[in-house]
Amino acid sequence: MSALIWLHEDALRAAHPVFAEPHERAVFIWDDAYMAAMDYGLKRRVFLYESLLELPVEIYAGDTIETLEALARAAQASCLISPHTPNPRLNHIMEALSETLRVQRIADDAFVDLPPQEGLRRFFKYWNKAKKLAFTRDGGA
Amino acid sequence: MEVQPKTFADRDALIAHVRALSPSLSPEETFVSDTKGGRDAGQALLQNIDPIAYGRSRDYLGGAVSYLSPYIRHGLITLNEARNLALERGPEDGDAKPIEKFIQELAWRDFWQRVYQQNPDWIWHDIEDYKTGFTAEDYADTLPDDIRQAQTDCAAINYFITSLQTTGYLHNHARMYLAAYIVHWRRVKWQAGARFFLAHLLDGDPASNNLSFQWVASTFSNKPYFFNLENLQKYAHPQAPCDAASNQPLSGSYEALAEKLFPYGEPA
Repeated sequence: MSALIWLHEDALRAAHPVFAEPHERAVFIWDDAYMAAMDYGLKRRVFLYESLLELPVEIYAGDTIETLEALARAAQASCLISPHTPNPRLNHIMEALSETLRVQRIADDAFVDLPPQEGLRRFFKYWNKAKKLAFTRDGGA
Repeated sequence: MEVQPKTFADRDALIAHVRALSPSLSPEETFVSDTKGGRDAGQALLQNIDPIAYGRSRDYLGGAVSYLSPYIRHGLITLNEARNLALERGPEDGDAKPIEKFIQELAWRDFWQRVYQQNPDWIWHDIEDYKTGFTAEDYADTLPDDIRQAQTDCAAINYFITSLQTTGYLHNHARMYLAAYIVHWRRVKWQAGARFFLAHLLDGDPASNNLSFQWVASTFSNKPYFFNLENLQKYAHPQAPCDAASNQPLSGSYEALAEKLFPYGEPA
């Protein structure tokens, strides 16, 4: 059984740690309805497509969940690997797919090596804790 | 299922293909940014950063900003890479102060993403009440046509709207001016302004964009952000048309504008 990488719009970089995971193929789904829901106009869509040209992914067009399910079936993949994101629309897709596939989320390089702070509201509360690490190479990682 | 092409005769062919894959797009939308997608384009900008000059001039529309934001927004360039390079380009004596503003701006992006992760439902909802003397019901739900068409009664605002629509970019200070104009001068809900920005900005991010709009509106800050013509002239001249005659609604002292914009009580 193999693994499928689903690259999404928050991580358009060949050096993203997701590509270090063993996988058979990597795909990006061009989902018009998703982009409309995100309010993306022509300018953004052109920027995104241009960014995909140099990445080691195959581009498919269609509904993200349906297309990924079909691709996973065709590849007999049991695992979907995807970059970590705070975007609830993308996370909702991952949750839906987790009913049929093992979904693994891979975090990108952190800006600061700082655990999540509960009840985060104002920037300077964050900055007081992050400042020293922010001025450290690799954020202290 | 058909694999989509990754080679095109030229950019126009790519644009035509994007249109064909995007039936939801309005045919009236014709502008494409000169800013090109791709890691190489982002890397070229990254190599050009001058974090010390940025710290001195970033508030000015002509300041030494990096233009990295679309590449950071979509993960082509990481905050970590930008910070590491900024550290290398800091003063040789190791003094971090001259590059603090650059690194702090990267930290703002990290902060917004952390807030987004913890509270995804904050993105489209008022986090707090408006602190303007008005309630949310007092603000219009939709963006007026004269704003969409860059036909407002302020020349500088029209310039910002046109720039946003044609280039997909606005300087951060211009974003604050335009957001404040939409919410406070025109009393439009921040959500309508945020949606307008997301439709045009190449770097528009639900967290950075919407939470900044809430910061301007005062639903995620202690008081509303607004400005006056004098401030605009200091930071936006000569890029934007800032003469008094064509920007009348922005004229006046902060006290006088506060009385006009927030007649039922402007926060201290």
